Amino acid sequence: MKIDNKNITRKEKITVEYFFKYAKDNFKLKSFTGKIGLNRYITEQNLHRPGLALAGFVGLFSYPRIQVFGNTEISYLKNLTEKQRKSSLKKLMDFEIPCIILTNGVKPFKDMSELAKKRNIAIFGSNLSTTKLIYYLSDFLEDQFAYRFTVHGSLVDVYGVGMLFVGKSGIGKSEVALDLVERGHRLVADDVVILTKKGEGIIMGSGTDLTAHFMEIRGIGIIDVRSMFGVRAIRFQKRVEVVIDLEIWDSKTEYTRTGLDSSTVSLMDIDIPYVKLPIIPGKNITVVSEVIALNYLLKHYDYDAAKVLTERLKKKLETKNSLNDRIIDYFEHDFE
Amino acid sequence: MIEKKVKIINNAGLHTRPAATIVKIASKYKSEFFIFKDGMNINGKSIIGVMTLAAAKGSELKLTFDGEDEKEMAEEILDYFNRGFDEL
Repeated sequence: MKIDNKNITRKEKITVEYFFKYAKDNFKLKSFTGKIGLNRYITEQNLHRPGLALAGFVGLFSYPRIQVFGNTEISYLKNLTEKQRKSSLKKLMDFEIPCIILTNGVKPFKDMSELAKKRNIAIFGSNLSTTKLIYYLSDFLEDQFAYRFTVHGSLVDVYGVGMLFVGKSGIGKSEVALDLVERGHRLVADDVVILTKKGEGIIMGSGTDLTAHFMEIRGIGIIDVRSMFGVRAIRFQKRVEVVIDLEIWDSKTEYTRTGLDSSTVSLMDIDIPYVKLPIIPGKNITVVSEVIALNYLLKHYDYDAAKVLTERLKKKLETKNSLNDRIIDYFEHDFE
Repeated sequence: MIEKKVKIINNAGLHTRPAATIVKIASKYKSEFFIFKDGMNINGKSIIGVMTLAAAKGSELKLTFDGEDEKEMAEEILDYFNRGFDEL
């Protein structure tokens, strides 16, 4: 199975304006400088505390990062004379820094805002403590600069398990997704799924803003799952937990029979459980998919049917009683 | 594998009707057909996919054709792009 990993992309930059729009709503960031400096770019996901740079050492200054002024920086600046402070801040703002954030509800010094306005650098403020703000902002920026790529497939939440259906076009991915929705499961996206790497080990999937929850069913055309089945039939995002590869039954391919040797597929260097599902007449892919989801849940809750049966067989072999008995020894006048 | 770059030249861009035609042409062939734009690699046999591109006039797309009949497929699809989806 090939899932093309070659078109992985990530955002190279976001504008300070875009950053502020989200940070204003989500982290209650406020601006001290109005529209100044909103056209600058943020190119790095990490944040930086410029203590050393303010003290004069700019040797390894990570200036492309957002500069966070916490208690340390502010009290250092407070201890300087006005002249010293000006020259210290000037040195810092001579670099192409994206913006400055003050934490703990601190307001900028008058000379600081004046200088920032001259240099076209935005100063934002937050009532949160430095540690908390850095924690929130890091998560936001990590998501913004995360690796992502699109796959051709359908993503459905089946009993809470994110199942990504892939396979050649025309094999029936959309039909399986529609069938699952009809049975009460929830569609995330069809045909175009954007996968985003979140942290080390999580792949999140979602649709695009234009076509999420729209679907093409051959012979009918385009349908809108959200308006047809209602809000219970959709969701915006889901972690991808199992990849199902649909293919026409091929007598030369070996399909797993016991489920003991589970295979995985690599999505942006993260291994995701992978099931190759052959399509044959009379096979209900939807029901099989539900069973795969339930089996995944059982395994997650520490019950692996294949292992349990293996264990039972082992015990039976150890007793050397190879006679295969009925599960009920004696039908004691119970003929039901 | 054949790789070609094309530009959208009609005024209305790659809207529903040309998207459907592209998918129709592509589906006649066995080869795989992908369209790349803005970091998105879209299966050219999927109408939702092609519409997702939202390719306006002037956008540049990279097309890849891969398979036994890739040559004929590329020829017919490129011709359709170059005709401006018959809307010039």
